[in-house]
Amino acid sequence: MRLIFMIAVLAAGLLYTFYAFNTLNFLSASGRLGPGFFPQILGLGIVSMTLISVITEARRMRATTNYFAAPADAFPGSALLIICMSVLYLIGLRLFGAIPGSIVFLLAMFWMISRGKPILNTVIAVMAPVLIYLLFRQLLSASMPEGLIPLPF
Amino acid sequence: MEIFSDLMMGMSVALHPANLLYLLVGAFVGMTIGVIPGFGPAAGIALLLPVTFGMDPVGAVMMLSAIYYGAMYGGSITAILINTPGDAGSVASTLDGFPLAQQGRAGPALVMQAVASFTGGTVGVILITLLAPLFSQVARNFGPPEYFLLAIMGMLTLIVMIGGNWRLGVISALIGFALGTVGVDLESGRSRYTFGSAELIGGINFIPVAIGLFGLGELFFAFYSGSHKKRDGEMLTYDGKSNFWPNARDFIETRFTLVRGSIIGFVVGVIPGAGAAIAALIAYSVERSVSPRPENFGKGEMAGLVAPEAANNAASSGAMIPLLTLGIPGSASTAILLAAFLMWGLRPGPLLMEQNPEFAWGLIASMYLGNMALLLISIFAIPVFVLILKVPYRILAPLVVVVCTLGTFSVNSSYMEMYIMLGAGVIGFFMRLYGFSPAAVVLALVLGPLAEESLRQTLTISRGSFGIFITRPASLSIIVVTIALLVLLPLIQLYGQRVRKPKAS
Repeated sequence: MRLIFMIAVLAAGLLYTFYAFNTLNFLSASGRLGPGFFPQILGLGIVSMTLISVITEARRMRATTNYFAAPADAFPGSALLIICMSVLYLIGLRLFGAIPGSIVFLLAMFWMISRGKPILNTVIAVMAPVLIYLLFRQLLSASMPEGLIPLPF
Repeated sequence: MEIFSDLMMGMSVALHPANLLYLLVGAFVGMTIGVIPGFGPAAGIALLLPVTFGMDPVGAVMMLSAIYYGAMYGGSITAILINTPGDAGSVASTLDGFPLAQQGRAGPALVMQAVASFTGGTVGVILITLLAPLFSQVARNFGPPEYFLLAIMGMLTLIVMIGGNWRLGVISALIGFALGTVGVDLESGRSRYTFGSAELIGGINFIPVAIGLFGLGELFFAFYSGSHKKRDGEMLTYDGKSNFWPNARDFIETRFTLVRGSIIGFVVGVIPGAGAAIAALIAYSVERSVSPRPENFGKGEMAGLVAPEAANNAASSGAMIPLLTLGIPGSASTAILLAAFLMWGLRPGPLLMEQNPEFAWGLIASMYLGNMALLLISIFAIPVFVLILKVPYRILAPLVVVVCTLGTFSVNSSYMEMYIMLGAGVIGFFMRLYGFSPAAVVLALVLGPLAEESLRQTLTISRGSFGIFITRPASLSIIVVTIALLVLLPLIQLYGQRVRKPKAS
């Protein structure tokens, strides 16, 4: 799996470098170092270092059986779950705003990973977003996501 | 005498009731964050940064600094009680801290840890008081070539200290530098990598990246490791009933250990990039080699806990020297502190102590008070932290996601920054999983614009010649020191690994 991540980094590095060479000038019109000077050096560095790492990792993959299998004591499904739930949470915040979005997210998360105490879970899921909202919005005058769908609270 | 009067002036600033309150809150919150496994000072400062927006700048920076060194105290509690270091600086504390707890001496271990942290922290602040003005004097002669070399020195030492696969460390640093190039180029006015987005014109904001990498990234990794599957209070070795206070022998036997650990920690902490983890490991190694009972190390020797604890806290103080006098952060945590300073319009550097004496000396004075407060909190609030440790991760984790997300939004009311935070979280998770360094990304993101600007200025001054780096005595000195560090630090690391091996076996 590390190989896939490295290939993704390499692809991003290639795009970064392509942009640096294609769009940004190494020297400015006055002959000074231009906006492309640093990005071009960085881009070449990222691509060359990542390419070496990809080749090394590909060799390691060939020498390893079950390269793509996760370690026995790891929980890749759980990591995927929390990442997907976080993505949905951001969408929920955009649609419903800070308090309703957070309550729904917490209830869903507790329902999935901590089912033992439903009443306590519900109290925490409701109280925590309200307290955080009060802290940021009322006490610190910071803004909170309002949500696109108008709700009465 | 001038230092003493400056310190007294700083003390009057720090003792202002509002500042004192922020300091105490910061110390307690920092300790609480440090207690949560996987959350170190970097995540703590990044998460709490938005909370300080309504405050006075001096009070806000005092609070954030208290979170920084408070988290160092808190990280050791988990190292002792559940054999899980709160951050890299506390790894060495597990070697003898956890065996002490297993022997029923969790109470004395926690108290001695607090005393050692206090001693390390206070010795560190005394040395800051004495040395910071001298560093400022020296740094006044520095120009763009020296600032570029210092930024590179910080990055290189950090990469060397990552150990394992240094190439992945270099790639991480280059990614951070690359992220730092997004936005308008200040010299030419040309947009770079903004792709028409108005929100990216000012560059990628540092806070969502830091919160994503250190907050969400660590949390996703904890899920991958199965932290949410553990039962409530699993592995907890403190029952609160055994003898709580250390005996006289504990204090007598470790009195010189405290001093040695503090001095070693401070010296290592001053080196940009070296950090608390290596300081603690060196102090542990030295202590084992001078101990009359080296065979007891790793089995519950009090000196084996006291040395790394004094060192990691002294190192966190030492790291403030390059930050305050040069404006160069040496770690991810101090990089976030630097971002906080800049956000408040305070530019650390050689002129800080002259132009903003109330702030600079107020901050230093607050560190004396903060360490005293942390000593008391560490000892008397241990039951509270044990309670926090008992909160199951499966309850805590979703709450952390909510705080990270809403905290990020509150900075600039930007949905884009929320998405950047989540993206940084996912990338941070994979970086952590596959041996990359999120700390190098953050440090390079902060140092990147400084490095680019100073390199361009340097090459403009020298008309394109790199010879300027060896013709200026200050630049040449920095190059020599950097080469010496690049040779010495891996050797020290090798020695540290040899020390840890018997324990692992």
